[in-house]
Amino acid sequence: MSHPPPFGQMAEFAEADALTEAVRAARAAGWRHLEAYSPYPIPEAAEALGVSAAPVGYIALAAGAFGAALAAGTAWYISVHLYPVNVGGRPLNAWPTFMPTTYLVAILWACAAALIGMLALNGLPRLSHPAFFARGFHRASADRFFLLLSSDDPLYEPEGTAQFLRGLSPLRVSEVRSA
Amino acid sequence: MSDVTAPVAAAALRPGAWGFRLSVAFCAAGVVVLAASVAAVLVRGVGVWGNNIPHVWGFDLIGYAWWIGIANAASLFAAILVLRRHGLRTAVNRFAEAAALAAILAAAFYPILHLGRAELFLWTLPYPSYTGLWPQFGSPLVWDFWGIMSHVVVTSLFWFIGLIPDLATMRDAAATRGRIGAARAYGLLALGWRGSVAHWHRHQAAYRLVAAMVLPLLLWAQTVVALEFATTLVPGWHQARLPLHVVVTGLPSGLGVVLALAAVLRHALSLQRFVDREDMNLLAQLTATAGLVAALAYAHELLVGFAEEDPTTRAALSARVLGPGAPAYWGAVALSAALPQLLWSGWARRRTLVLVAVGTLAAAGVWLDRWSLVVDGLLRDHLVGIGPAYSPSLAEWGLLGGTLALFALVLLLFGRLVPAVSMYETRHEESEAEMEEEER
Repeated sequence: MSHPPPFGQMAEFAEADALTEAVRAARAAGWRHLEAYSPYPIPEAAEALGVSAAPVGYIALAAGAFGAALAAGTAWYISVHLYPVNVGGRPLNAWPTFMPTTYLVAILWACAAALIGMLALNGLPRLSHPAFFARGFHRASADRFFLLLSSDDPLYEPEGTAQFLRGLSPLRVSEVRSA
Repeated sequence: MSDVTAPVAAAALRPGAWGFRLSVAFCAAGVVVLAASVAAVLVRGVGVWGNNIPHVWGFDLIGYAWWIGIANAASLFAAILVLRRHGLRTAVNRFAEAAALAAILAAAFYPILHLGRAELFLWTLPYPSYTGLWPQFGSPLVWDFWGIMSHVVVTSLFWFIGLIPDLATMRDAAATRGRIGAARAYGLLALGWRGSVAHWHRHQAAYRLVAAMVLPLLLWAQTVVALEFATTLVPGWHQARLPLHVVVTGLPSGLGVVLALAAVLRHALSLQRFVDREDMNLLAQLTATAGLVAALAYAHELLVGFAEEDPTTRAALSARVLGPGAPAYWGAVALSAALPQLLWSGWARRRTLVLVAVGTLAAAGVWLDRWSLVVDGLLRDHLVGIGPAYSPSLAEWGLLGGTLALFALVLLLFGRLVPAVSMYETRHEESEAEMEEEER
């Protein structure tokens, strides 16, 4: 029976600062395929990883603009072409009265897109992930911090990677299987 | 460092005590009453209600505007806490959001049922139909449809996205206790959240962005409800100040409900450590301030109504304030504006029972204001005589009581099944506090 190649090496830390330091050290050593896990947001570690949240905003902006155009266009087309109603000779294209729905639908689209887009950028939802195979990983949602160096990285080699991680003084280092 | 939020997860995984079961049974019975009241309207039509001409709106619109007011003030409060990164949000914003969601669920019954032929509510959607009929986008009723739709979708997403990381914690806590079924259920809802730092970064960005967008949405949703009144020619309603009045006087209801909930949950789930005395103080003072602001709105109503308006409008306001409508009007002022002022006293703020009573009565006061507006606003019209008077029927009281039971049931289940306070935010805050102590 052949074993699939490992997913990577996981180091466990007790403190958020230790994780941030470890991420900085790994990035400085040239690692590109790495993932850090924590029970609460750590902006410094995200910065060290080079993650930007800006795409969430762009997605929301684009979806909001699309929603606004859709709502305003629908209201205009219905009121002017599909079902024109003459109310005391007022203009059919009474655009100020279309603005309330335009505004509401724009916010609806922007909010939904920000949240769904965030999930999509994160690659969620997914049923499983090799990180969950790591020893003690259930504490990543409570009080422990983890750093994973992926076997996809060109720098990866089983012995050397484990040694590098041990140099960051973690609580423990373990190999993570991929399936 | 052990996990500071373990008691919160434990509270959600513990089997319910008898008090909880009794409350659930009581609320479930109320939901049965709701089902019967809804069935009566659907089968027999709106004739089972006390509505008539001129009172085409009664409990249906009172209930709708009231619940929307509670939902608005509760989510407004939650969104502001998220944006301000205030310490209090870790504790109360989760159930402020839950209260908003439950209130919208309750509110959603009324506009659908008051259509008379509820199954035709689809006609407010723009879709090609064999009738060739299209909605008119100049109508506040169409605005209202989009307002409540956006409100429901955005508030539920906001609440759920904030909950995902805590659902992941619940998944792991349940799995550690060997509760595999519960772990699977929480795991599916957690969408595979693994706490990646990169994911956290985007999660927080999206969460705060939505909080910022919720604010204008809420103000607008309540404004649209008021515009439905303001665009009629009824003298008591046809006023430009109505949207502001309805938004502002709604604040004591939502904050009062959140205050009462915080006081109850603190004791029922032993969350004193997470919702501490400071939090309760701040929340109580906010409710008192909302009461003051509502008082200003009432004063403005009287000043503008009696000093500036024409005789017809003055007569309508006078009937509401000094005539047959006086009990509801002054009841609203007393309960939603004056009573919360009690909360400036430290003695009152330390008494759980006082907090629960003042919070609930403030919400009841806002209900009286909605009654005063919807029913007593029609005491005087352009005609010399107007009538018959409106008197709510059993089916309407059943609807009100039933939606209250539904609201309570949803909150009871939220309080039991999902963490009542935001665990990841509490962790974050505690770690920051620890760091500050080390630096000292």
